[in-house]
Amino acid sequence: MELLQVQNLCKTYGKGETQVEALKQVSFSMEKGEFAAVVGESGSGKSTLLNCIGGLDTPTLGTIRLDGEDLFSMTEDKRTVFRRRNIGFIFQSFHLIAELNVEQNIIFPLLLDYQKPRREQVEEMLEILGLSDRRTHLPSELSGGQQQRTAIGRALITKPMLVLADEPTGNLDSKNSQDVMDLLLKASRHYKQTVLMITHNVSLTSSADRVLHVADGILNEAGGWSR
Amino acid sequence: MKHYLDLIPISAKIHRKQSMMTRICIVLAVSLITVIFGMADMAVRGQKIQALQKYGGWHAGFESISEEQAALISARPDVVSASWYAVTNYRLDMHYSIGEKETVICGLDESMSDIFPFALEEGRFPAAPNEAIAAASLKRQLGIKAGDTVELKTPDNRSLLFTITGFIRDSSMLNDSDAFGIFLDTDTYRVHFSDITDTADLVYYVCFTPFCNIQKSIHDIQSQFALEDTRVTQNTMLLGLMLQSTDSFMLLLYLTACVLAVLVAAAGVFMIAGSLNSNISKRTEFFGMLRCLGASKKQIKRFVKREALSWCKTAISLGCAVGTLVIWALCNLLKALTPTYFASLPAFGISWIGIIGGILLGIFTVLWAARSPAAKAAKVSPLTAVSGNADTSAPIRKTANTNMLHIDTALGIHHAVGNRKSLFLTAGSFAFSIILFLSFSTFIDFMNHAVNPLKPYAPDLSIFKTDHSSSIPASLAEDLAADPAVKRVYGRSFVFNLPMTTDSGTINTDLISYEDYQLNWAEDMLLEGDMESAANGGGVLTVFHPDNTLTCGSSLTIDTPSGPRQIAVTGVLSSCPFNRSENTEIIICREDLFRELTGQGDYTIIDIQLTPDADDTAVDKIRAAAGSDVLFSDRRMSNSEARGAYYSSAIFVYGFLAVIAFISIFNIMNTVAMSVSARMKQYGAMRAIGMSCRQLQRMVAAETASYTFFGIVIGCACGLPLNRFLFYNLVTFRWGDPWYLPVGALSVILLLVILSVLSAVRAPFRSIRRLSVIDTISAD
Repeated sequence: MELLQVQNLCKTYGKGETQVEALKQVSFSMEKGEFAAVVGESGSGKSTLLNCIGGLDTPTLGTIRLDGEDLFSMTEDKRTVFRRRNIGFIFQSFHLIAELNVEQNIIFPLLLDYQKPRREQVEEMLEILGLSDRRTHLPSELSGGQQQRTAIGRALITKPMLVLADEPTGNLDSKNSQDVMDLLLKASRHYKQTVLMITHNVSLTSSADRVLHVADGILNEAGGWSR
Repeated sequence: MKHYLDLIPISAKIHRKQSMMTRICIVLAVSLITVIFGMADMAVRGQKIQALQKYGGWHAGFESISEEQAALISARPDVVSASWYAVTNYRLDMHYSIGEKETVICGLDESMSDIFPFALEEGRFPAAPNEAIAAASLKRQLGIKAGDTVELKTPDNRSLLFTITGFIRDSSMLNDSDAFGIFLDTDTYRVHFSDITDTADLVYYVCFTPFCNIQKSIHDIQSQFALEDTRVTQNTMLLGLMLQSTDSFMLLLYLTACVLAVLVAAAGVFMIAGSLNSNISKRTEFFGMLRCLGASKKQIKRFVKREALSWCKTAISLGCAVGTLVIWALCNLLKALTPTYFASLPAFGISWIGIIGGILLGIFTVLWAARSPAAKAAKVSPLTAVSGNADTSAPIRKTANTNMLHIDTALGIHHAVGNRKSLFLTAGSFAFSIILFLSFSTFIDFMNHAVNPLKPYAPDLSIFKTDHSSSIPASLAEDLAADPAVKRVYGRSFVFNLPMTTDSGTINTDLISYEDYQLNWAEDMLLEGDMESAANGGGVLTVFHPDNTLTCGSSLTIDTPSGPRQIAVTGVLSSCPFNRSENTEIIICREDLFRELTGQGDYTIIDIQLTPDADDTAVDKIRAAAGSDVLFSDRRMSNSEARGAYYSSAIFVYGFLAVIAFISIFNIMNTVAMSVSARMKQYGAMRAIGMSCRQLQRMVAAETASYTFFGIVIGCACGLPLNRFLFYNLVTFRWGDPWYLPVGALSVILLLVILSVLSAVRAPFRSIRRLSVIDTISAD
């Protein structure tokens, strides 16, 4: 079942001589529960693609459908709520909220939705992330790996259909990188969540179902490994 | 590029927009100081002009000293000028007269003109015995010319003849009292008046050089000639304005000025420090990068300080220029309002005190304010800077409470109160506006006590009989009203000590008649009842006094020529232009009713207001129409003085408050903008996670509301006691009025703060709406 459909996506920055075509006629789709890695050189358009899919950036042309919903036919406010409920974001620099502890950071998207988090749901997430004993710690009291695990918890707590990860292991050592990858794989395999991950680390792509290669704004299927 | 500091101008060109707010803050802080100090300087100059005109330029007067002692005093190196001065018939009750008008006789030396600026309009100072100069009114009213002889009648009916050698400008006191004045040299004065002038009345006035310690000089003279304190008088106002007074009230005024100067300086420091801190904090990674490249901590500190000073070059000059322009505008406004009175006040004067204060404080503040961010920038480790974790914000120690409130509100409040230093600085800057406003607002009370504004009913001319009888014909008022130089004429009749019967017995009253103009002016003072009944002759008005038992509805019975008549009190006024005698109530009625009650149709006094272009010729014409058997009080000069005194105070006091209000608005808006801008990256991340614009706005609003709440609490907690302290120094000490809660000033500044906050959060709301999530996140 196709969850994500990207069709003829174009993104152009600037005008005239300074015009840059970041994405050129990008089309692809992803199945529910699929894990795809996007690789490419710096400035190739990977992040632009991820940001457009996440509804953070507006494409110049083309459509993006998630679970049949056209992201850019929605109003800004509606898209925000849609993103909050259906898309989980993981950033390279974590972007945790410094004033909130681990547990509060994880449940933050639920609080934004004015929902009351279920106790067992939070416990389960902390257990999966291995952060049960760190739940009351502030981000400044955590290691890089723990911070990224918290950020993954925050991305997964709403049980989103799509998880977008922009170089989630970029700031981590190999041990923590592997932990993060395990968590993302678990989300994909166990919870049937679609994961699209940008990475520079080719060795990490071995766990992905598909590898997409972006060069000069053009996306190519680079191959993949069957489950 | 030859030196690493040469990076400063290159960086400044590129980051011009980033440093804009800081540069604007320096400009405003410097202009605030320049304006406040400059206005204070101009206010002192204005007051000095008034003091010189009203009291003269002398510093000390020594009574009952000998000629030898006077010679010794004048020979002192610290004495610039000195003169004898004596006066006879000052209170116009000794019956010295010229042409049947009471005449004041003064004896003085020619050097007195250095001390008391009497302007010799024509002729020369008396040089021979029995020569005199006269006030200009003598020339105008009696047609006397220089060289003519005037005859002064003494109380014992002797005649003294004086040859007039010149004329000086009239004084408001002589004009108000319709009296003449002649001025003799000291020798002639002693010949004719020494027997009636006590030696104590001969005063030796001294003007010292402003560069000496005048109090010490006075003390030296006092001890040298063993003069008691009662024989030494000081020109307190002038000495006070020269910062040379030891008068206890003046010392309190100095203390007040010092407190306010410190407050203004602190406000400047707060503004610049806050802005500089924010600017440097945003660029900590840049400084970390410099550290990576090999810059030492000392070099980073030097870079930050030098960069701050480079902003000073233009910002301080601009601040001083803006401040000077504001002062020019105020001075010109003052000159336009009272052109003759403030003629000597420079229209485009330079206040060096204000400019030097602005420059020094600007440089000092910038250097002082740059210390903390410079140290902070220097502390950034090269490693954290390159790894992109150079977040210099204070470490968070406590989590936000998300159980009680919505997440957006809880985070907003936590942003404000989570960091005590930031809370103190931001709420402190809000509080400072309140403290400054409350402190300066005490000057309004001071002004209202010290200077009386000219009332709308103040006449330019008054015509009345010396015996205050009601014998000025009403037809004169009608004739004068037709004069094109006359704007308004309004007469009043009085019957003093008129008994009236009330329900509780007989009371003593002063019955006064009003015509339309006066009834209209009285309406502003109506406490209870209505004016209509009194205006149509159906009732009378009384004036509130704690002992006055008459109220609205009280019935009064009066014996009229046609028998007893009952009248009702239909209105109570809060005050009136007349003094109440003890146990005598003032009753005011329309003149038709007055005529019916008393049978008197003529006036006791006729007041006249002139058109702006009415000149001396027009006044002389009115004087001639009034006749010679009346007193003709010309109050134009004293009105002009009163108007000048009020305007000079009001312009500066309200000017101070307006400047403070403007700075408060800017400061609040800037603080909110800086606070939002500092968190923009965090807002971007929150937006990416799913926070809506509305939620972000609520968060910013909650943060700002928290700052405002604490700012108001701190502002009131510090501002009200300070207001009380200053009120005591300025008002209670002198006039005895107890302090009261400044509800008006407090309401104005709180409203201003709240409105500023409301409009301040609107701009960040717009930038949040425009916020590019990608840009903020990818800034990492």
